[in-house]
Amino acid sequence: MDILGYLLDALTPFNLVLALAGVVLGTVIGALPGLSATMAVAVLVPFTFTMDPAAGLIALGAIYTGAIYGGAFAAILVNTPGTPSSIATTFDGFPMAKRGDGGLAVSVATIASVVGGMVGAIALLLLAPPLARVALAFGPTEYFWLAMFGLTLIAALSVGNTLKGLIGACIGLFLSMIGVAVVGGDVRYTLDMQRFLGGIDLTSAIIGLYCVPVILDLVASADPHLKPSAQGGLRTAEGLALSMRSKFNLLRSSVIGTVVGILPGAGGSIAGLVSYSEARRASAKPETFGKGNPDGVIATEAANNATVGGGFIPTLVLGIPGTPPDAIILGALLVQGIKIGPTLFTTDAPVVYTFIWGLLIATLLMLPVGLLIGRYAFASIASVPKAVLAPTVALLTIIGSFAIHSNVDDAQLMVGLGIVAWILNRYGFQPSPIVLGLVLGSIAEQGFVQTWLIGSASDRLPEMFFGRPISIGIIVAALVTLVFPIWADWKARRRKQLAAATAAEDDAGAAIAPEIKTRDVAGMGFAAAFVLLSVAIWMGASGMSMLGMVFPRTIAVALALFSVLLILQNLRRPANPAGRAPLVLDGGALRRLLLAAVLLAWVFVLPELGFLVTSFAAFIVITLIADYDRPPLRTWLLWIAAGAIICTGFWWLMANVLLLRMPAGLLF
Amino acid sequence: MKTAFATLFAGLLAATPLAAQTAADFPTKPMTYIIPFNAGGESDISARFQQSEWEAVTGQQVVIQYQPGAGGAQAWSQLNSLSGDGYTIMGINLPHTVLQPLAGSVGYQTEDLTPVHYFHYTPDAIFVRAESEFTSLEQLVEYAKANPGLVTFAGSGSNSSNNLAAIRFNEEAGVTTTYVPFSGTGPSITAVLGGATMAGFNYATSGVSQGDAMRMLAVASEERLPVFPDVPTFKELGYDIVGGAYRGVAVPSSTSEEMRQRISDIVSEINAQPEFVKKMEDGGFVLTDIGYDDMDAFVAERVEEYTAGAKALGIIE
Repeated sequence: MDILGYLLDALTPFNLVLALAGVVLGTVIGALPGLSATMAVAVLVPFTFTMDPAAGLIALGAIYTGAIYGGAFAAILVNTPGTPSSIATTFDGFPMAKRGDGGLAVSVATIASVVGGMVGAIALLLLAPPLARVALAFGPTEYFWLAMFGLTLIAALSVGNTLKGLIGACIGLFLSMIGVAVVGGDVRYTLDMQRFLGGIDLTSAIIGLYCVPVILDLVASADPHLKPSAQGGLRTAEGLALSMRSKFNLLRSSVIGTVVGILPGAGGSIAGLVSYSEARRASAKPETFGKGNPDGVIATEAANNATVGGGFIPTLVLGIPGTPPDAIILGALLVQGIKIGPTLFTTDAPVVYTFIWGLLIATLLMLPVGLLIGRYAFASIASVPKAVLAPTVALLTIIGSFAIHSNVDDAQLMVGLGIVAWILNRYGFQPSPIVLGLVLGSIAEQGFVQTWLIGSASDRLPEMFFGRPISIGIIVAALVTLVFPIWADWKARRRKQLAAATAAEDDAGAAIAPEIKTRDVAGMGFAAAFVLLSVAIWMGASGMSMLGMVFPRTIAVALALFSVLLILQNLRRPANPAGRAPLVLDGGALRRLLLAAVLLAWVFVLPELGFLVTSFAAFIVITLIADYDRPPLRTWLLWIAAGAIICTGFWWLMANVLLLRMPAGLLF
Repeated sequence: MKTAFATLFAGLLAATPLAAQTAADFPTKPMTYIIPFNAGGESDISARFQQSEWEAVTGQQVVIQYQPGAGGAQAWSQLNSLSGDGYTIMGINLPHTVLQPLAGSVGYQTEDLTPVHYFHYTPDAIFVRAESEFTSLEQLVEYAKANPGLVTFAGSGSNSSNNLAAIRFNEEAGVTTTYVPFSGTGPSITAVLGGATMAGFNYATSGVSQGDAMRMLAVASEERLPVFPDVPTFKELGYDIVGGAYRGVAVPSSTSEEMRQRISDIVSEINAQPEFVKKMEDGGFVLTDIGYDDMDAFVAERVEEYTAGAKALGIIE
């Protein structure tokens, strides 16, 4: 077999060093929210111009796969997806870390990432040309239904709270429509503000929605951020045993990841969400998902690393990049004078196969690299005092959201959305449905409008939407996902009722009060506000082109409908006999308020005073807010020194390594 | 060691605002080249081709950064707030920078931007996939005449060059077709290859990357392209359609006249590098050499053309 011969080419010391360095760099960059694989790959492309094409590709591929894996660290340890691909990792990874199983979660994530990465890379090695046809079989209709399938996960994420989940999804969908519409070209809902033209940036929204609430809660109590592990270490052996037991989940998720990776524009976040919901559906204990089930981490991490290999399939075979990093690598190949396209696997076989072997080796290297980095990351997050951890995480959120476009607007948006998310979450509107809506909104809208255009051109609208075989498959899967959690919940409740009834008979007469939900006045208030929002969305759509108007109006109707239903549902419930819970402003709440104010001040003063000065000042103030121990002066000096080093270090990294334009302001 | 000191000294010099930067020895440190789109598109690839020649021509490297958003408007609306020392330049595209301000408030006006050189364009072209029944443009036109509205064209975005070309094709050929916008060249090519749409109005560059998988029926250039000697131009076939997306380099408005000229010269010089010319032409790009001197006339001409197009698109009355 020829293919094996290229393995030796990939095994040169230089290529191995590149693969190792790439994986290390990628993992670190991926672990920092906001710093993405795209950014790292883009900066490093020029260095590969002088390298041999295969070596350059190996370096870029290693960074890419490392970054997708690294995203899991932030997701598990601080509840913030390091890259959008690890959104679903937070669902179970962070609860695991909270209860002291963070080390185990990191181990499981590492093993799953390596397996997923291998499956994707092997598919690329052996089956690329035939699999590329999958990308072509997916038309606009299929993308639309795939997005709908993703949205059905809301039913699973918000069991017992479905209406609020649906409302959250509508808000996410609305946020996704802000800016210049791809289809139709309308400028929508920007309130005539420059910053909203490009839309709500997904990465900064994710950082805000997930991470800001974590920091706010972090300072509100003296409890440690993560419960220290009872067993200590990463518990690799246990993780391995767990993964072995979940081998079907591992394999299914890797295959889902590979296939979704092949679809240009879908990407790691959707792969993770789809395989998460499949793992939950297939599980014997679906109710434990979202509460720290390692299978949730396995599913997401296997799937998102499988998208790396999968994404290279359309990139190399069709010249259609699967993801943004693929697109940069595509450009690098063209500069090297390599012709992408159907003939690549024959004309440039040495380069391609050497690269794929290199990618496989890099994926394997993630195991030792990941476990080593994981050990330190986990130990340091668990042992760093809160007074330093809170400002460091806050600094990372601001850096991350700023770095995407070298733009302070994104950081301001991040903090604003984060504070709103904390308030909404307090009243039962969780961030995940909002993020799901935001991720899937543009895919759903484009697919919908394109299908509609193509269908009306040929007068076959119903067949276009419901008559295509792949679409029917996705619709069925979506229906199952939608109905299953509700059915499982109903069954569980019924079992409980039956058990209660038998118990009642035994206990003759001792009445068991049924579980009564009381009226949620605050929720009704929010729902009323959302009704107003939906009216505003409807009104705002007038004057748009037909293409641009369809989706906003649909969402407006859905939002109004769900909000009214929520109000009606609560009106039928009895009022809380205890009356309204009094609003107490205890120490924790005060610290939280202060922190929110500092974060806001930080992002608004930043462009005026300069990045370094503002960040250092904010760092010290947050240290003060987060401190519960009142340590001696020496410790304080140590903390301040740490703050100075951290702020300067990141500033240097951003200005000189990632070459971002830093806001200079008055000072520096 | 000597060179290290020299570099250090040069660096210090460049960092001192008092040391006046003369256009002749520009640049003395790496430059930043902002691409207002995602990676992988024509803007990115042509900039990467330039990047590989940049150091040979100027003695300094150029760093490419992506600042996508709002079809480029996000970056263009911020162009003039960047430093005008010549070290930050930005990719600029036509018809985008004419059509966007016409279509709505996007934070800049066409005349706010300062292009110094338009170095190439990618002509629009009609594609069908290899399995398609159409082997010539005539067949497609006949089919479209017999079945109004049934022919669907996938293209990159609304109010784009592809969209303009599709509208113009309807007028010139006297047919009604349906234009389906996708979020970029990649997805629209996928739609053509997968048969989701009957045909595509894309850029000629896609014909190179897809090889035999797609058939180019006609190209909107003045003359046949060197890489596609067998593909007729629209003009040859009797349709007056010449156009595509022009790509160039712009600077912030605070950049001095000498520096504008110098950057224009750098781009011109890169345009003459044999290696660069070969890569671009093999890729289906058509090189142009519209420098800073000719810029006003060139932009004025395009504005006139696209304003007429915008009326056809229904953007303006």
